[in-house]
Amino acid sequence: MTAVPFDPELAAALAVISQNMPSSLTPEMIPLLRQGMAGFTPSEDLTLDGIVDLTDVDLGDGVSVVVCRPVAAPTPAPAVYWIHGGGMIMGDHRVGLADPLAWAVELGLVVVSVDYRLAPEHPDPAPVEDCYRGLVWLAENAADLGIDPARIVIAGGSAGGGLAAGTALLARDRGGPALLGQMLIYPMLDERNDTVSSHQMSGLGVWDHTSNDTGWSALLGDRRGGPDVSIYASPSRATDLSGLPPAFVDVGSAETFRDEDVAYATAIWQSGGQAELHVWPGGFHGFDVMVPQAALSQRAKHARLDWLRRLLGH
Amino acid sequence: MRELVGRLAALDPDASAAVQVIAYFDRLAEGRAGLEATVRGVAVLAGCAARLVDEERAVFLRVLADGHREDHPSDENPDWPRVRSGEVELLLEKPSPPSPVDLMVLERGVALARDVLDRTRGRAPDPALVELVVDASVGETARSHAARRLRLGERARAIALPDGVVLVEPHGEARHPLGAVRAGVGPVVPVGRLPRSYADAKVALRFADDVLGPRVVHYDDLGGLAAVAAAVGPATAPSPDVVTLGTLPAWALETLHAVVTSTSLRTAATHLTLHHSTLVDRLGRAEHLLGWEVREPGGRFRLQLAFALRRLHAHPE
Repeated sequence: MTAVPFDPELAAALAVISQNMPSSLTPEMIPLLRQGMAGFTPSEDLTLDGIVDLTDVDLGDGVSVVVCRPVAAPTPAPAVYWIHGGGMIMGDHRVGLADPLAWAVELGLVVVSVDYRLAPEHPDPAPVEDCYRGLVWLAENAADLGIDPARIVIAGGSAGGGLAAGTALLARDRGGPALLGQMLIYPMLDERNDTVSSHQMSGLGVWDHTSNDTGWSALLGDRRGGPDVSIYASPSRATDLSGLPPAFVDVGSAETFRDEDVAYATAIWQSGGQAELHVWPGGFHGFDVMVPQAALSQRAKHARLDWLRRLLGH
Repeated sequence: MRELVGRLAALDPDASAAVQVIAYFDRLAEGRAGLEATVRGVAVLAGCAARLVDEERAVFLRVLADGHREDHPSDENPDWPRVRSGEVELLLEKPSPPSPVDLMVLERGVALARDVLDRTRGRAPDPALVELVVDASVGETARSHAARRLRLGERARAIALPDGVVLVEPHGEARHPLGAVRAGVGPVVPVGRLPRSYADAKVALRFADDVLGPRVVHYDDLGGLAAVAAAVGPATAPSPDVVTLGTLPAWALETLHAVVTSTSLRTAATHLTLHHSTLVDRLGRAEHLLGWEVREPGGRFRLQLAFALRRLHAHPE
């Protein structure tokens, strides 16, 4: 099968990145990955030189959140409930916040980022249930947090995008907090890992077929592919995507998740819902985070900010 | 990437940093990345704003360290590290001296930028390629390869300038403004026959004249005069009419030339910015020096031929 070519600028950066991070991640690499490989170590100052106030809140049972409020944000402010990525197996709530914090400052909103428990130590349903618990906490404490409960947007990238989709489904089915929108950035949605794109980009780019197996198997173990996988763990299995908030879905054309993400947006439309879909040509998984300066990354960031701005009525 | 690049810059200029810089620009080249992506690579890898200037092609492009394009520059600082390749100059907006990694980034960046510019914006063609394409002793394959690289299309023509300078341009595309110096323009031919066009262009060049004109001569306009050129070589003795022309003062030559190349005396007077009666008076005196009448067809033709022969003697090869 012929692979989709990478965007030239991204390909050049990948030549550098891949020297430090292989495309195929296997289970025995999880401890090393968690130690933080180059390119993923949190080094940012989350206060952005003091213009963002940070509050850590422990929700108990291994779940916590950090509330990031720009000092200039209004009260009540809209909120982005952010779920970090990391293949269900790595990362934490303080990693990869650069873009959400940029939205917070630009649009005057509060970012609440959740630290959920990770697989394989905490398999499904722990991660998605933790995310849901954090969302409920946010909605219930909106007044104290100076947040408008009618304007909460759930968002996340990669595994965080998958968990955001699953959490939105949980909120729908349990009559939980109302969501204004769901931003699914190259979300990890389908535990079957058997789309054309998942095979097509095998051994290439970032988070290939093998890596995806590693993540999903850590989350679901033997249940993968069987009848006992919930739509909250693997949202691609959902057949009814009606009753969900408007979605923003984006994905690179040269990554494992391309087909499942396009299919998810399509299924939302087919269920009578609203979705905005962007497929970034030649983008590999996480291109905008790893190569933020590239033209394609700038376009992707702009599209997300633009969607949020319209959603929030700015 | 940000972190990697930070790491990369912090590294000693060892093989690993060099390899990464080279790999980056090699992949950009492989993917036929554009100019902005190239300058962005320079800015990001060097960790500062980078600007590219090509005054010949009127290109100015500036990218900040975070990858955003920002063409409104602050004043240029003469202390900034810079590197030049042909007309293309690449600068880093940071104080000198550049680190060894900066130097490598500049060097790789300017080479790629120049390739991209040559590919996308055209360029002054490589003189070696042009020489190849008009050289009959070069094989057909090498010539057609050179023609492709010069993007000459199916049909093209050669232009001969003084001192053996040769230009080529595709049919219908005037790549070279002419008129500043003497030029002979060859006929449009299939590119495989450019050596022929060049040979003809050189013949036309012999008829071009800096002082009296015409400065640019098209072989196609010469007609039978082209055959005359073959009869006049370095060793050929000038005919008496040519010798006579050589003895005339400048005013007489100008007057005769204007009259013989104009449709009427009135036009010639306008051309010389003279009153009509002044011209008639001068012409009479010039004819006397010349020794024959030029206002009737036979004399006119004899004078035209004499001027042509005079140019051939002035440029005997």
